[in-house]
Amino acid sequence: MNLIAHPELLELLAASHALGTLRGGARRRFEALAREQAPVRAAALVWQGRLASMTELQPSVVPDPAVWTRIRNMIDAEQAKIAIERQRDAANARDDDRSRQPRQGGWLRSLALWRGATAAGALATVLAVTVGLNLRDQLHNAPAVQYVAVLNDDKDAASMLVTFDPKKKQLVLQRVGGFKESDDKSLQLWALPPGGAPRSLGVLDNAPGLRLAASESDVHAVPTLAVTLEAKGGVPPGSGPKGPVVFKGALIEKTI
Amino acid sequence: MPDNRWMTVPSPDAELMALIDRIGHRDEAALRLLYDRTSPKLMGLAMRVVRQREWAEDVLQEAFLTVWRVAGDYRSSLSPPLAWLGLIVRSRALDLLRRRTADRAQLTQEFDELMADTLESDAPNPADTADASEQAWALHQCLSQLEGRQREVVSLAYLREMSHGELAEQLKLPLGTVKTWIRRGLEKLRVCMGRFA
Repeated sequence: MNLIAHPELLELLAASHALGTLRGGARRRFEALAREQAPVRAAALVWQGRLASMTELQPSVVPDPAVWTRIRNMIDAEQAKIAIERQRDAANARDDDRSRQPRQGGWLRSLALWRGATAAGALATVLAVTVGLNLRDQLHNAPAVQYVAVLNDDKDAASMLVTFDPKKKQLVLQRVGGFKESDDKSLQLWALPPGGAPRSLGVLDNAPGLRLAASESDVHAVPTLAVTLEAKGGVPPGSGPKGPVVFKGALIEKTI
Repeated sequence: MPDNRWMTVPSPDAELMALIDRIGHRDEAALRLLYDRTSPKLMGLAMRVVRQREWAEDVLQEAFLTVWRVAGDYRSSLSPPLAWLGLIVRSRALDLLRRRTADRAQLTQEFDELMADTLESDAPNPADTADASEQAWALHQCLSQLEGRQREVVSLAYLREMSHGELAEQLKLPLGTVKTWIRRGLEKLRVCMGRFA
């Protein structure tokens, strides 16, 4: 049928198509006509636009504030990943100009590590938010908790819980796995700011719980924490990590 | 024109479009502003499609991550900003419903009960037209001319992408009734929207 000669029918078909109730063979025939004939295509697009406004007309419901926190955490993780990839690409470009000597701190540029860290980070975002929520009651009597991280080992097993108390200005670390460093080694905690070099947050002794002095600026806008295995006493001040990463995880700001 | 509201109240579209442009340039503060401005509206839409607060919040989260990633493409869509955001939310919400339906095939009974709507003949038209585009406002006027149950059936067909048969089953109505309401509803919309064209 020549639909263009029947404008009312054309409009009704276009409206049913946009509504989604035009199905099966009728839908396929209408779409074929729309591809061939511009006026049919125009009617289809007009009705798609008109009915799309249905999405604007629903009554408002205020979402829980945690939704925005989740969105921001995921975007921060995504931004960190992009920054790290850019940094790695730049480093690779520099390396192409030089002889290929093995360099210390090469783990920072390990693609596999960062891909893994990102995937683990996304998972840890979910886990840490959940853990953060479950911990709410337990931590009720604690003075304050502003940031939470669950650091996982390379088998994704939770190995360390890190919280930041803004009132006491300290990081509280709790070992939750069975990891035990040998007597000639120390664990060292690092903040991995997006696009920047790792910053040491302190060296751990082998106690199950530990408090490290820290200010909010040390942990603000830091999406990821990592723990490396270093020589006894940690790396010299100002130096980057030298040993392997043993635990890592996303640092989440807690807003409830 | 039955009303000249659109001539006297400045459209909020320009402000929302400016925010979306900034988001396209990776401006996180703009995303926060857009979220503050639109999240209740979009949450309401998500609730209407998925009917469960927890799911609707997941949908809202995924939708804003999508906005963050695709905001640069907004201009080429030629849509009013809130309608563009609404389409993203609807699409994520339908994705979630499909996933949940597949996940819980054995729990369809519970799912149907959750999704079941009660249609009331005098259901008010609950639209909140704050921030709505001119086009949405025209649609609102035209939907208001439909009888409550007809309007509800047409709205659910669109928002949940449901066929005549699915609507009849979920709303516990005869198939013929659903078809008739939708046909008459669309006919009234056709005449009414033509006046706004």
